[in-house]
Amino acid sequence: MRRLHPFTLLAIAGALPALAWTLPAPWGGLATAVLAFALTLTPGASPRLPVFRTALVTAAPFWVFLLLLHDVASTVAIGLRITTMVASFVWLMAALAPSRLVEAMVAAGWGASVAYLFAATLSAVPLLRARARRIVDAQRCRGLSPRGGVASRLRALRALALPLVLSALHEVDERALALETRGLVPGVRRTPLAPPPDSALQRIGRWGLVTVCAAALVWRVTWSG
Amino acid sequence: MVRLTLDRVTFWYPATKAPALRDVSLDVAAGEVVALVGTVGAGTSTLLLVAADLAPRVIGGRLEGRVHFEAPEEASGGRRIVLPTPWTQVSGMAFTVWDEVAFGPANLGWSREEIARHVDRALAKLGIAHLASREPAALSGGELQRVMIAGILAMDPGLLLLDEPTAELDPAGARILWQLVRELARGGAGVLVATSDSDAIPEFADRVIWLELGRVAAAGAPALVADEALCAAELGTTVADTWRMAGLAAPYPATVADAVRRWPAR
Repeated sequence: MRRLHPFTLLAIAGALPALAWTLPAPWGGLATAVLAFALTLTPGASPRLPVFRTALVTAAPFWVFLLLLHDVASTVAIGLRITTMVASFVWLMAALAPSRLVEAMVAAGWGASVAYLFAATLSAVPLLRARARRIVDAQRCRGLSPRGGVASRLRALRALALPLVLSALHEVDERALALETRGLVPGVRRTPLAPPPDSALQRIGRWGLVTVCAAALVWRVTWSG
Repeated sequence: MVRLTLDRVTFWYPATKAPALRDVSLDVAAGEVVALVGTVGAGTSTLLLVAADLAPRVIGGRLEGRVHFEAPEEASGGRRIVLPTPWTQVSGMAFTVWDEVAFGPANLGWSREEIARHVDRALAKLGIAHLASREPAALSGGELQRVMIAGILAMDPGLLLLDEPTAELDPAGARILWQLVRELARGGAGVLVATSDSDAIPEFADRVIWLELGRVAAAGAPALVADEALCAAELGTTVADTWRMAGLAAPYPATVADAVRRWPAR
């Protein structure tokens, strides 16, 4: 599954929730939820069981809230749709390497600036995590303990969040200079370093999914009318 | 041939009345290494931003005077700057060190083969080929600084601008970098470097420019870092400072080798 073109993975992860919300409840939602959970168990979403478990654990609280707010029929209808969304997203995160997505975007002729927005968002997590670790270390050296009661933990959180956000804002200017000097300027035609292989079959598959979603919508609107 | 000329340049940052640079003139030619020294706030970083065509074009502000950069048409790398903080220079678009170094060359639109050749060479020159598959966010400051320098070197710049490039490096890393700077100059690149590593300047620089409060206070041969005025400003080399503090006569030796030579005749 990981070998599929990133756009194909995106198309699958987008089509399942779209169909879940378009097809009649509860069977449409049930079918898409089963498919989404089946995807989390495919070899691409490695390690399989933790991905399946993450999807299950993330979807569970929604069911509780829905049950508190709605009757059983509505809970099942909406719950299956939300579960499809959650499971599809968790599977996508496990199966899609951000670097491959960026390469695919560049190879498809997207502007380097647009691809940068995607990649920078995806790669911000490890960078922010590394910086947060440095800030926590620095605050510990100055006697702040992240352990203890709620008040103590909140104090520690503030001591982490404030420097993290302020330093991120501060570095925006310097990052702009660094990107400029490294050639990321508007209109640049970037060379894709390792464009993921695509095939006619996958392209047909993607268009097929778009067509199925559009047909389901048309059928649903007509059927409802 | 590559040549950078600053002719009576005065520069103001946005919303400031006092200029950060005042009436600065300098010239950096191909194959030449020019070191900028100065205390904090002297204007060395600002001068590099002006030389890199980032000030005022990107950061704003006002410039008087003339900045002229000429490079042969085949020099696609142009003039590139390495900033002092490695963490703010990470592209955010690469998930391995190899891709990070390739970020700049890819933006130049080179072929993949050409990019691979330049990236592998830059990684080898900085001694970080073993880090190629690591994630940039997981590197130490010194490793990341070397990655950033490799990223600029891989773009094959005609003029390399370095702002405190050894700030994050250990002594061995700094020595490798200064040797590399000399090697680049031998290969025809011009190098303008702001550094507080005065001890290394006689080893790698052809000329030294001392900035004070945005003005050129003095310029000359590398022996300038053993000058009485620079030593008084705490910008001299350790050897010159020691000689001076010992009350020995000027001119002071800049390096250990100078000191050994002069010792019998003191």
